[in-house]
Order: sequence, then structure tokens, then C-alpha cells
Amino acid sequence: MKNVTLGQYIPLDSFFHRLDPRSKICAMMALLIAVFIPTGWWGYLIIGTIVIFCVLVSKLQLDFIFKAMKPMLTMLLFLGIINILVIKTGDLWLSFGPINIYSDAVIQTLYIIVRLMMMIMITTLLTATTKPMDMTLGIEDLLLPLEKLKVPTHDIAMMISLALRFIPTLIEEADRILKAQASRGVDLENGSLKEKISAVLSLIVPMFVSCFQRADDLADAMEARGYVVGAQRVRYKTLKFKFGDYVVIIVANILLGLMIYIAVRMSK
Amino acid sequence: MSIRFEKVDYEYSPNTPFAFQALKEIDLELSLGKITAIIGATGSGKTTMVQHLNALLLPTAGKVTVQDFEIEANKRFTQVKALRQKVGLVFQFAEYQLFEETLIKDVAFGPKNFGVAEHEAEEIAKSCLRTVGIDELDYEKSPLELSGGQKRRVAIAGILAMSPEILVLDEPTAGLDPQGAKQMMDLFKKLNSEKKITILIVTHNMEHVLDYCDEVVVLDHGKVLMQTDINTFFENDEYMEKANINPPSIIRLKNLLKKNGISISKDVVTIDGMVKELTKRLKK
Ligand SMILES: Nc1ncnc2c1ncn2[C@@H]1O[C@H](COP(=O)(O)OP(=O)(O)OP(=O)(O)O)[C@@H](O)[C@H]1O
Ligand SMILES: [Mg+2]
Repeated sequence: MKNVTLGQYIPLDSFFHRLDPRSKICAMMALLIAVFIPTGWWGYLIIGTIVIFCVLVSKLQLDFIFKAMKPMLTMLLFLGIINILVIKTGDLWLSFGPINIYSDAVIQTLYIIVRLMMMIMITTLLTATTKPMDMTLGIEDLLLPLEKLKVPTHDIAMMISLALRFIPTLIEEADRILKAQASRGVDLENGSLKEKISAVLSLIVPMFVSCFQRADDLADAMEARGYVVGAQRVRYKTLKFKFGDYVVIIVANILLGLMIYIAVRMSK
Repeated sequence: MSIRFEKVDYEYSPNTPFAFQALKEIDLELSLGKITAIIGATGSGKTTMVQHLNALLLPTAGKVTVQDFEIEANKRFTQVKALRQKVGLVFQFAEYQLFEETLIKDVAFGPKNFGVAEHEAEEIAKSCLRTVGIDELDYEKSPLELSGGQKRRVAIAGILAMSPEILVLDEPTAGLDPQGAKQMMDLFKKLNSEKKITILIVTHNMEHVLDYCDEVVVLDHGKVLMQTDINTFFENDEYMEKANINPPSIIRLKNLLKKNGISISKDVVTIDGMVKELTKRLKK
């Protein structure tokens, strides 16, 4: 349970921690798009180097990032198998009886793996260096143009930040209930199907109960402090772009441009 | 036969930026058959420590021995289920673990997991609910309809139903009304004296420590600060000062009187007793 690192904020002090959330979100978007531009290995090498450099600058430990990738492993494995079975172009590299592995299949799979890994690194870089509260402010500001279209931008931002805020709390809660039921003899690994279902129920029901209770309490607490849905709010904390923010956005966009350039050159 | 901690360390989330060493070289031996209080400031590691007793947490270094069970760091512990039946652990805020449709079913959940037949488990559940003072009319109610204090009692009944030999209670009376808290403490005392159940109780309530416990262990920042019997603990102002606790008022009075040359026997632990003792002396 405690190994869930996806989306968790890590309180450290680094260049990225100090950046404005808006510039980080914009830069992340640019990089994510860049990752999905088909540039071949040279492009990935460039982005990959930059992303790893960023991770180092952010002072996050590399194995923290790898842990965030763990949940994806099964998916990647599955993808790899499907690719190998389906793609039948390129040179024939290996064949075991009915299974033939072609070079394109392997290369395609590698592409996907590399892309996903970079995607996770980039998003982890954002979530791990940005406080949930700052993230909300950033998202809200960036969504502001949509306000004109009557999109409830503030509510959306608030929902996102609450969801992010409660991930660790819920993990803690699940851990506690898991332990409490374990001391009553619940065994999730062994036992018949019926026993397993009852074991899972013994976790889920209290989780739901406590989630609803928490939501209720939170709503009361927010109302007690004067929060009104849809009301105009002033801000305690205002975001401000600094020199570093401009640099990050410009660098990310130059990188995006470069990738597009490489892709266009390659397709000619 | 005893409960022993030998150089036990415990670290939360090791090898991450959140790594936190909650227990540091805990060395402790608790004899069976007693009621032991575990006290200490919030965050001193009490909950972490007691969760080692039924292998919910495994030490990151050192060894925990509970009767014939040995839980060692970096070693697979295989008798988890047998240990958990022997050591019943009532969690802090235990009310959040209720999940069945009715109280009876919830309390019967534990024994059923340990292989007791359905019908028999429900009989046990009824008797345990009675023991913790839940009204018979409520047995078929949903746990969600109960008050916080009642839920706590049901959760305690759920552990008692497994008939543990060692009962570990993590702040069982926090949030109960004084009368209800006293009833629970009386119940634990009774279980200890009648069924010879060893009781470990984590608490912040010094009156309870004084009135019900035989021994006290003080934790401080993940270390054992001291372990003594109750009388020694409450007779020495330095001890209480070191443990940074507020002694119960009766103890404060007694120790003040003693400083002024009036020593009161240690059997006097209630205000009434104190009044009687003092009037007797004044009459002389
Ligand atoms: N799951 C966890 N991950 C990381 N650190 C934790 C975790 N649980 C507890 N801690 C830390 O370990 C220390 C000891 O916690 P513990 O819950 O054992 O304290 P306690 O003595 O029971 O406190 P209280 O009186 O508030 O119940 C605390 O400083 C806490 O921050
Ligand atoms: Mg605790």
C-alpha cells in the first residue's frame, strides 16, 4: 500500500519546487506532446536526456520515479505480447514454432515503452514538485479563458485539488482498515472464493463509510469557513512568473519545435 | 513465557524521502498476567510498538518474542494467523472497522475467520456484546446506527470474541464519556483477574493508569524512557517529571503532603479514601 507513489507531492527544495505551477503545467503539456511526436530514436534521446536531467535537478530520487512506474509494468508486458503477436512486418528475427518475432514488433514495443516511461517521468516531475494547493491555483488560472464559456473553472480546479489532496489520506485509511481486519483474522491471500469475497468486503465497506463521512465533514468544515459554491473568491496567494518560469516555458517549447522539425525532416 | 522486545527498530517507508524511524532499539520485557500501561506523548511510537505484537508490522531490526512466537527482522514469519488469534489488538479509533449488516455478524466475523462454526460464532458474539454492555435490543441493528462510543464497544467485542490470551488496546477509552470509560476499564480489569488475560493498554489517561494498571512503560521519541511498577512511578515526582506527565490530582496531593512530612499509605488512591485518612489523622 505504501508503495503507491503516483501523484504524490514530495516536499523538497529545488529549482522545480520553486517554479510557478502554471509554467510547470505548460511545460509539461509541451513535453507530453513532444513525446508523442514520432521522431525516431534521435528525438527520444534528446527528450530523454533532458527529462532525466530535470529529474536530477528536482532532487527526486530516481528509484522514486521507478516506483511510480511499477503499476504500469503489467500493462507494458501485455502490450508487448500483443505487439509481438500482431505485427508481422520487418525482418524475421526469431521464430519458435508458430510464433515468429519480427523486427518491427520489437521496435514498436520499445517505442511504446520508452514513450510511456517518459510520460510517467514528466507527469511525476510535475506532481511531485507541486503542492496540491498550488496545482489548483495553476489549473484554475490556465482554465480561466473557459470561464467565458460558462465552464465552472474554479469548481473543476477545487475538485482536482481535493482528489489529489486525499490520495495519501485514503491510502493511509486503507492501510489502517487492512491492518484492523487482519488482526481479526482476515486473510486476503488464502481461502475459498467465498472467504475472499467476504475479506474484500470487510475492506471496502468501511472505506466507503469513512469516505462519505470524510466528504461530509469536509463540506461542513468548508461551509463553516465561508466557502460558497460558485461565489466570487479573492485569493490569499497570487501566482507570479519569475525569470526561471519564462526560461522553462521557452525551453520546453523550443524542444517541442525541435521535435516537430525532426519529425517533418524525417518524413520527407 | 513473556513478551519480549530485543533491540527492535522500526522504520516507516525505508529508502524513500519519507523514511521515518519510529522505534529505536526498543528493549523491553513484559511478564504475562498483568495490566501494563504504555504511555508517552503523541507520536512517541506507542501505536507502532503495539502493532508489532501481532505481526502487523515486522521489525526492521531486532526481535519480538510473544510466548513461543518469534518475530525476527528480515525473516519470514509464518505463523501469522495463530499469533493473531492469541494476541487481540483493538485499534485506535476501532469504530471504523465495522462493516457487517448487523452487530452480531460483525462481532462473529473474527471467530469465523479463525474457523469457528457460524452458529457457535454467533453465540460467542452475543455473549461478548453482553460483556461490553450493548443492549440486547440493538444486536440486530446496523453498526452505522450506533453512536461513536457504542461502535467502539462493538469493536472491542469483536476482538474479545476471538478469545485472545493477550489483549492489546490502543487508546480504547479515548472519546468515551467518563462513565463509559470507567465501565470499559472495569471490564478490562475483570478480564484480567478472572480470565487471566494479559492486558497492554495504550492510554493518555493517568487516572486509569493509577487505578487499573500494574506496570507502566514510558515511550519517548521511539525509545523506552522507563519501565517501572505503578507505585514506584507515582511515588516519585522525578519520574513523572521525566516522563513529562501530569499526575492525577490525588497523587499530586499525596506527594505534596509527603514533602511536608505527612506520609499517606499507598493504598489510598481515591479522594474519599484521602478525606477519611486525613480526618482520622486530624482527630488524633
Ligand atoms: N504510516 C506511517 N508512515 C510514516 N510515518 C508514520 C506512519 N505512522 C506513524 N508514523 C510516524 O511514527 C511516529 C510514531 O507514530 P505512532 O502512531 O506510533 O505514535 P503514537 O505514540 O501512537 O501517537 P498517538 O498518541 O498520537 O496515537 C510518529 O511520529 C508518526 O509521524
Ligand atoms: Mg497511537
